[in-house]
Amino acid sequence: MRPIVAEKERRQRIIDEVAAASWVTDGMTIAVGAPAPMALLRQLIRRGVKQLTVIDSGLSLDMLIAAGCVRKVISYYAGGGFGVPVVPSFRRAAERGEIEVWECEEGILTAGLQAAAQSLPFLPWRGGVGTSLPEVNPDLKLFSDPIQGETLIAVPPIKPDLALLHAATADAYGNVQHYGGPGWIDLFLHRAADRTIVQVERVVANEDIRRDPWATTIAGADAIVRAPYGAHPFSSRGFYVQDNVHVREYLDAATAAAQHDQPQRLAYYLNYYCREPVTHGDYLERIGVKRLLALYEY
Amino acid sequence: MADTYSSQELLAIVLARDLADGEVLRVGVAMPVVEAAVRLAHLLHGPNMELIFFGARMNVAHLHTVPLPAFAWDRRVVRWAESYSDTGHRFDRLKDWHNHVFFIGGIQVDPYGNTNLIGTGPDYHRLRFRGPGSVGTATLSTHVGRYYIVLNSHSRRTFVERCDYISAYGWGTGGADARRRLGLPGGGPRYCLTPLCVLDFTPESKRMRLHSLHPGVSAAEVQAHTGFPLIIPDHLPVTAPPTAEELETLRTRVDPQGLLRR
Repeated sequence: MRPIVAEKERRQRIIDEVAAASWVTDGMTIAVGAPAPMALLRQLIRRGVKQLTVIDSGLSLDMLIAAGCVRKVISYYAGGGFGVPVVPSFRRAAERGEIEVWECEEGILTAGLQAAAQSLPFLPWRGGVGTSLPEVNPDLKLFSDPIQGETLIAVPPIKPDLALLHAATADAYGNVQHYGGPGWIDLFLHRAADRTIVQVERVVANEDIRRDPWATTIAGADAIVRAPYGAHPFSSRGFYVQDNVHVREYLDAATAAAQHDQPQRLAYYLNYYCREPVTHGDYLERIGVKRLLALYEY
Repeated sequence: MADTYSSQELLAIVLARDLADGEVLRVGVAMPVVEAAVRLAHLLHGPNMELIFFGARMNVAHLHTVPLPAFAWDRRVVRWAESYSDTGHRFDRLKDWHNHVFFIGGIQVDPYGNTNLIGTGPDYHRLRFRGPGSVGTATLSTHVGRYYIVLNSHSRRTFVERCDYISAYGWGTGGADARRRLGLPGGGPRYCLTPLCVLDFTPESKRMRLHSLHPGVSAAEVQAHTGFPLIIPDHLPVTAPPTAEELETLRTRVDPQGLLRR
């Protein structure tokens, strides 16, 4: 949307989590980074966004499925740690055919994201040759490479409409810096996506970014959301560790719903933590200062 | 020789013995036996090993204790990292992974060491059990010099004649050239370790064979819990039990909390 009147100043890209969540509409493909940008995801649950295709893994994926936001999952791993081999809501929904799974694997996923980033019809990948992956996911095509005749997998582009990420700091112009490096495959997600929203622990001055431009991991995110403790209940490097008590609370509630047909606690969890708090600040009030401060210790 | 030890302690010790100094050990998620084994090998005989936990690469041979983490990305682990592989270049330098070692679990394992993390049931769209997914196992098993299949239980449910789905290709339908025919550069699965025994693969057919029985276990017992006929050699050694040094190092420097004894 180009303004009709020429702007006089460089445009700032800071928006709040409520406005950011409105960028996501029903049926979109979203990519979720690691740690998961929970302040944004809770807003999606609050808004009741539906029919999403979600590129994500683990517990944040499970929560989106539990909340009914997901139609299709692009995931290489849906385990939960804590002796939870498969996260409960994912497992139940997949077994009942309520969600579609685009079966993939870490290397295949990164190849697909890279193909999208480079506007290629596919990128070749070797890992997965000989496995069932091309059978259960017909979008993955075995082919004979034209140079040496080797059998490889053609991985089509995996192109998110939006990448939703969490990072340490950013300035008002979308220059993002991580503490201790970017998360898992966040840069692949950003490179492949049409647009990227990054929630950060702290908004810093442009001067702070320019002090060490080599440390800028994402140059020009489309929007920045200020969200201190925004990855809670997960960890954020340099800020806080995972809130294991809270994660356990979610897992127990989701397991009761998925495996024992007792959805009350999960419904309570989603209402109390995701749907009722209007803003991220309202959510943090429900978690409480004492709990949040305790996450600096381990 | 120590008189009592848990099955998981034995597995960690047996696995540690097979890891050589200088190797790069890639440890995936939720495998406490493997996490203990690589630390133990590192302390006992591997000062030049590189340990990679979920992308965090470290050498901690100088530490007195290297305890198991409570959680995969726990900072008690990653604070020792010298570098990370998740800065946008996962799977770089795959050409050099012949020196890398990997460890893999599975919902199902077949006689040729193919493994399944996708799920079970004849209809993929309505799986009876939906597994966690392939993680990085398809790529790692393709490229690493060798890998180990490490299982916490030994049952007919896990050891099946055919995997419903294959997420990591071991030796396919058998034959020493099974992987070469497909162009897979890595060396394939070396051992499968279970609470009952160590299994390997015959050099010619690459079919699963009993390699050693853990103390007190019989070949008949292993076969009874395996869903396909195992190759059972005439000479079948007993897995060497933990030495006092191995067990003490494991308990005082790797697993002081006793996670492997629970």
